[in-house]
Amino acid sequence: MYQLKAVDKHFPGVHALQAVDFEVQRGEIVGLVGENGAGKSTLMKVIYGAYQPDGGEIKIDGKRVRFQNPRQAMDHGIGMVFQEQSLIPNLTVMENIFLGFEKQFVTFGVVSWRAMATAARAQLAKVKLDIDPTTITSDLSFAQRQLVELVKVLTLEERIDGDLVILLDEPTSVLAEEEVKLLFQIVRGLTKRASFIFVSHRISEVLELSDRIYIMKDGAVVDVVHSNDADLDDIQHKMVGREINSEYYREHKQQAYNSNDVLVSFDNVGLQGSYRNISFDLHAGEVLCLVGTEGSGREAILRTVFGRDPCNAGRVKIKGEPVTAFSPMAGVRRGIGHVPRERKIEGIVNGMNVYENMTLAQIRKFARLGIMNVPAEKQLANEWIERLGIKTPSVAKDCGGLSGGNQQKVVLAKWRSSGSDILLLDHPTRGLDIGAKEDVYEMIREMSANGVGILLAADTLEEAIGLSHTIIVLKDGEIQKRFEYATGSKPSLYDLVHHMI
Amino acid sequence: MTHEILRPHFPWITLVALIVIVGIANPAFFSVSGFVILMADVIPLLIMAIGMTFAIYIGGIDLSIQQLANMVTVMTTVYLAQFGISVALLVVLVGGLFGIISGFVTTRLYVPSFVSTLAIGFIALSIAKWLSNQRALFMDATLRDAHFGWMFGNTMGVPHELVIGLLLAFFAWLLQTRTPFGRALKAVGSGELAAVASGIDVDRVKIFAFGLSGMFAAFAGLMFSVKLSGGDAQLANGFLLLAIVAVLVGGTPLTGGVGGIINTVIGTLIVMVIRAAMVYLEIDATQQQMIFGIVLIVAIALTIDRSKLRSVVK
Repeated sequence: MYQLKAVDKHFPGVHALQAVDFEVQRGEIVGLVGENGAGKSTLMKVIYGAYQPDGGEIKIDGKRVRFQNPRQAMDHGIGMVFQEQSLIPNLTVMENIFLGFEKQFVTFGVVSWRAMATAARAQLAKVKLDIDPTTITSDLSFAQRQLVELVKVLTLEERIDGDLVILLDEPTSVLAEEEVKLLFQIVRGLTKRASFIFVSHRISEVLELSDRIYIMKDGAVVDVVHSNDADLDDIQHKMVGREINSEYYREHKQQAYNSNDVLVSFDNVGLQGSYRNISFDLHAGEVLCLVGTEGSGREAILRTVFGRDPCNAGRVKIKGEPVTAFSPMAGVRRGIGHVPRERKIEGIVNGMNVYENMTLAQIRKFARLGIMNVPAEKQLANEWIERLGIKTPSVAKDCGGLSGGNQQKVVLAKWRSSGSDILLLDHPTRGLDIGAKEDVYEMIREMSANGVGILLAADTLEEAIGLSHTIIVLKDGEIQKRFEYATGSKPSLYDLVHHMI
Repeated sequence: MTHEILRPHFPWITLVALIVIVGIANPAFFSVSGFVILMADVIPLLIMAIGMTFAIYIGGIDLSIQQLANMVTVMTTVYLAQFGISVALLVVLVGGLFGIISGFVTTRLYVPSFVSTLAIGFIALSIAKWLSNQRALFMDATLRDAHFGWMFGNTMGVPHELVIGLLLAFFAWLLQTRTPFGRALKAVGSGELAAVASGIDVDRVKIFAFGLSGMFAAFAGLMFSVKLSGGDAQLANGFLLLAIVAVLVGGTPLTGGVGGIINTVIGTLIVMVIRAAMVYLEIDATQQQMIFGIVLIVAIALTIDRSKLRSVVK
């Protein structure tokens, strides 16, 4: 019914989609998996009309179509449920649901809120969400908002005569296990009316929900499998082109840390509204991973260590010194380096070149009589480019133009070259391809072997388990469980998830 | 893409094109001595625009400079007899202090710079009026010549004000491109969040940038006052718009992070050429601000970096 034939998409320097064939049958749930950068999001954007392909064709029921924008795609029954939530927080639920389509409730230029509320209730019933449609959206939980997002797309049902295709982009990433089950139930119930394309990093969920699964790698569909006769390892293998095992996280390089050398010490530390009663010690050479869902407080703890969010209870000591003044400047002076999650915004300065970025945390050290010593900066940059294998045409290249992996290496080089011995890594591998991830893992091992204490918020649980000496599981701002182990006695995924939600 | 590659070159291409066009229409424009006089005339504007560049480079703006310069003309005239040449130091420090207050209000009290500097500007204006009793004051010619005669002399055909302007421009350029402060300034302008995450004291950098803006405005005010031999709460009126135009036309966008002092020198020359052309075309003085208003809008539209504005899902 919905079909892509040999669709191509080019961006400057990238062949983002290469002759992609893709098909959705009526009432089918199709899974779409692939590593970051495999072309999933480009493909989705082509499907919902945000991008126009520059080769191949799109057919609906055998008829060729071309969408100039998402609105036109919607008119053909194609809707997108956004991962980054597209709801406007300060509007009511019903206003969000019918945003842009209020006309149906307007008489003499005035919106009938009652009619809208009634209609909204009918829509919410489709996903069995029993909330007052006049609720302000920001008062809803993440799971509820996700469902409202789905409802918003489901209004297509009444507007469009033909079949519906609904894209679900990582709908489960913020949901708890129970909520995921509920969502799946709802989606299955809706297949009478609509087909779904389900995109997720969680391959097990894709396997559970989908009928067929498209596997993408490097901009091409490498395989299509039926979920009945597919297994997880097989899919993962095809996605990355090889197997993921303990080798991947460099576990053989994990060394015991020095338990006498405490770098960061939290004693019953709390921050109103974020976390409370947090105690832990970070030792030289240790990789300590904070695990928890969004809002569990792990980012806030990292920010407190760095000095961004001062705590208001308990005692923080860094290298034995009690911390009284919290600021990033003081944090950097104490030898703390911060690799933020938002690499492009907080990690590198887009618009500054490689050497300027690398010396950013120690500008003054490179000044002689008040004038920057650029040759020394370039020398330092060249050393680290070689040491970390950073791919850049020159040290004067704008960092914004480097690939994600190389940007991250520049950020790491910034801290390592300035001698930081406490490193806060907030999702250091987010958005990186496999090769770049491995480089980062290698660097983490090397740093911890050199006595750097690393506080990590990992991108996935597998990563957390693979990399750390110690894992602290957080929930709602409190420590649930602490796992300490050496290589070979790592906890399982289940152990962690069990304490997270 | 081509637009992106060409963008940094727009300002000097514009300048050359304008010079050629104006020169063809009026060959007298090409005379070296005429050009030097034009440049000397534009020096106070250049100095103001250089200060403004620091404020805009960090993504802010300083709307107080014109009023600071007004206030300084009055202060210079009033205190010349008392302090002699040290009045220069006094007014530059006062200008810097006002800038620092603007910076403080902007960074610590979270008042956007266009509001904080506007308010500070009115305070300066009010001080100017109070100090001058709302009258135009005149300097004692002997005192002026004794202490500031050097400002407007002429050595081997080179006007001293031109030398002063170029020295200040050089100093500002050095500060922007070659010092730790300049590096921090660039980091704050291009990626404030990354600068914070690198342990840079962003607030201090910003406060210092506004302080510089105030100091340069004060110096421009000092030059006005000496040149026109007096002080008045309206003496520098009209220069705010021109200074903003000079910075933006030069290629430092309101979003900050790119451009800089050299760009502002080019931008000031563009303003100079446009002004000369208007004189030649006999455009009435009352209409000149209108032209510059339009130029300003066009310059903003052409130079602003849209990727830095909050983008909508397309």
